[in-house]
Amino acid sequence: MDDLTEMLKGTLEGCVLEIIGGEETYGYAITRRLNELGFTDVVEGTVYTILLRLEKNGLVKATKRPSELGPPRKFYTLNDAGRDELAVFWAKWEYLTSRIAKLKEGGR
Amino acid sequence: MNLWETMTGSDLTREYKAFEARAAVLPADHRAAWEEIKGHLFPYGDFTGRNLMPILDGALGLLEETAADGQTVHEVLGDDIAGFCAALAGGRGARTYRDRWRDQLNRNVARKLGRLGG
Amino acid sequence: MGIQDIIEGKKQWRAHLARVKALPPDYQIVYKEIQKYLFKIGPIGLLDGPLLPGIVDFFEEGVATGRGVLELIGPDVAGFCDDLIKDSPTYAEIYQKSISGKPGTAEK
Repeated sequence: MDDLTEMLKGTLEGCVLEIIGGEETYGYAITRRLNELGFTDVVEGTVYTILLRLEKNGLVKATKRPSELGPPRKFYTLNDAGRDELAVFWAKWEYLTSRIAKLKEGGR
Repeated sequence: MNLWETMTGSDLTREYKAFEARAAVLPADHRAAWEEIKGHLFPYGDFTGRNLMPILDGALGLLEETAADGQTVHEVLGDDIAGFCAALAGGRGARTYRDRWRDQLNRNVARKLGRLGG
Repeated sequence: MGIQDIIEGKKQWRAHLARVKALPPDYQIVYKEIQKYLFKIGPIGLLDGPLLPGIVDFFEEGVATGRGVLELIGPDVAGFCDDLIKDSPTYAEIYQKSISGKPGTAEK
């Protein structure tokens, strides 16, 4: 789907947290995962800025590891604060989607 | 040197001297622009100088890098140096300038990558 | 800032620029335009923080995977920059705050 960028903006951070929560991973792999999901407009640059913020806010642990091609790669895992943040994200998501579904059904 | 010296404390004077040493090795045009930028930032008065130091540092860095790339002062600062300085200090028109800088960035990238033919 | 710091800073800056020079031409062009933009905006820590070396790390990884620079960060380079510095106050903002309470000074 085209032109999701604006709508996706606020939720992308949660998506990245969820992906990292699944297994230790790195920027390029996260980007490909999002692309495969159908968010084809997401570029690695966007993921990079999100990862920087997550790291700065102390939600992930970053480890540099040598990579088979080129320079060392930064791998990310969630820490406790990151897991809490992810739970908050899903709670907010539930709330938001249930309210919007209700709106669509014409309920009160 | 000018009012700067009288108004700045000793550690700031040292910092300021380091700026001047960097500016001294700039090409003439860029050095002239540096003088002009200082002149324009100065009326932002009501400061000890300390809070303006990082802004000056950034402006000087910009001049140094563009000089190293062989870019003219005009290419970087445009016609309105006073407006440029107001924007650097976050004053009037800063938002407009930021939008202009964003456009300039994307335009320059498109133009230069196009020239690469890639 | 003592003389030693200035010399040390210069050395580090030269080493940083050498890394930039080793990037492919398209990456170099984009890096330089980004740097110029950031010098104007002035996010805190720009000259002594991890922001610029971090971009080079990221770009080196992009090169290693054989992608072009716009494939990596998308065509909206300014958008990428603004995302990068989203939570960093700029020197202009700090300056404005330091003089606030004296309305009009910035409008001279």
